[in-house]
Amino acid sequence: MDAFSMGLIAAMGALATVAGASEDIESDVGSQSNPNSQVQLAAQVGNPHRIYNKAISGEPPANALWAATAAIVAYTLITAFQMPALFALVAGASVAALFNGVFSLSSYFGRNSSQARFNQWIYLDMVRYTTPSIMAHAWITSFCIAAISYIMVYMLPIPHPFPMPIIALIWGLAVGAIGSSVGDIHYGGEREFQNRQFGCGLNTMLSGQIVRKAEAGLRNSIDNAWFCTKFGGPATGMAFGLTVFLDNWRTTVFDPVTQASFAIAMGLFFIVVMVIYNNYIERSLRKKYGPYPEYKGDIAA
Amino acid sequence: MNFDIYTIVYILEIIVGGLLVGVGVHFVPVGGAPAAMAQATGIGTGTVQLAAGSGLTGLLAAGLMMSVSDNIWLILASGAVGAGIMVGSTMLAGSWIYAYAVGVPFASAKVNYDPITGFSQPPYVAIGTVGHGIPTVCFVSGLIGGMMGGLGGAMIYYPLYLINGNAALSAMFAIGIFLVNAVIASWNIQGTIEGFHDPKFKKWPFAFKACAIASVLLALASVLITGGA
Repeated sequence: MDAFSMGLIAAMGALATVAGASEDIESDVGSQSNPNSQVQLAAQVGNPHRIYNKAISGEPPANALWAATAAIVAYTLITAFQMPALFALVAGASVAALFNGVFSLSSYFGRNSSQARFNQWIYLDMVRYTTPSIMAHAWITSFCIAAISYIMVYMLPIPHPFPMPIIALIWGLAVGAIGSSVGDIHYGGEREFQNRQFGCGLNTMLSGQIVRKAEAGLRNSIDNAWFCTKFGGPATGMAFGLTVFLDNWRTTVFDPVTQASFAIAMGLFFIVVMVIYNNYIERSLRKKYGPYPEYKGDIAA
Repeated sequence: MNFDIYTIVYILEIIVGGLLVGVGVHFVPVGGAPAAMAQATGIGTGTVQLAAGSGLTGLLAAGLMMSVSDNIWLILASGAVGAGIMVGSTMLAGSWIYAYAVGVPFASAKVNYDPITGFSQPPYVAIGTVGHGIPTVCFVSGLIGGMMGGLGGAMIYYPLYLINGNAALSAMFAIGIFLVNAVIASWNIQGTIEGFHDPKFKKWPFAFKACAIASVLLALASVLITGGA
């Protein structure tokens, strides 16, 4: 281990944190997240709305596509045209953002026009000012992930044997899985779905009853991003940053050639710490929030 | 290519890897869209999504280890630990949001007492939901599932790399075999599962059989195709 590779690992962790946050916000502006099931249902239960709706694929495959596209373009420009890495990564991310724009537009038009019989409109103003915001976030995600792949293949002391696009594909799948596991819960707690008391899950009776109006005017997807940026995005970034950082840190500090078992033992140590931390959160919540007063059963809290 | 005893061992390793993925998916506590709305216990995403995210992160760790070592145990352990770190940090960050943003205590609606901590569950389940958050039993089950996925991914990658010596080709095949088995298992799960304490978990032998058939076919195809490359 030397100071340079440790700095690279730190940079990868930072890039991953930014990628995680932008991935989550991208999926919230476009409402590609899991709570979108309510948005899709809304028009059918009599609530036409102005929420962008691009959920025609899960987040992991979609992000894998964008990240791999960025990495393929960058890899081609670097190897075939000897372009400087930074410019190549920027060009790759721009192509990925264009793919994302096509994906978003076609899914918004497709989704909403198929609900025309429920009085759902296609809002062209929404398309004009929400799509660029979605594309911008996709640009950040794909740039960061392609940059992480570049560092892993070309700069770390032990270069990764996989080519750049496959590493980007795998990290894209991972960031999508994390965004959809972590950030979605925060999006699900957004005001759009707050037809419920604080501190309990949404009653299934209320499916599709999304909040469509603000104090002034109708709510739209930019309002969702404003809320999710505060906690959902950063928490997703933390999760992805931890994954990339901890996974690479242990194989950089402990040389995989001579100290492989230490690297594995360190990984197991991280996992045990996470179990203990989750158990601590569970215990403190039970103490602070207490059981639900409506509970009528005979099992003691 | 020579179809010798080693090839049969490689095929068996790929089949075992596929089965590990198929069974491992059943351990991952996923609640799908309802969990994202705090209506169901587990992680708010789909089964394949999280299993693939964690298992393939493990594949990255295993690939790195295989480039510097040929000790199969180190490679398999690296895959499992890499996947465990990914699924662990995902569930932990999810717990922060359930705890500090949504404001729900962690509770499972499938059991009365958490099998690991012994905490009572029904008093902490909100009305109209089937649990919420990630209780300790779900967290441990998710780690087991994620690590089995990483182990399986590494187990598929290892023989393929020995056959063709091409990391990129082996990784693509490993990703493909991984996803096929994860999707078959998630059909068996039908949307949501809480982990090994969930009554649905008892259905795993069905997925085991289906994954075994799929893995045999995929193992034959991948050994022949990559062997001929």
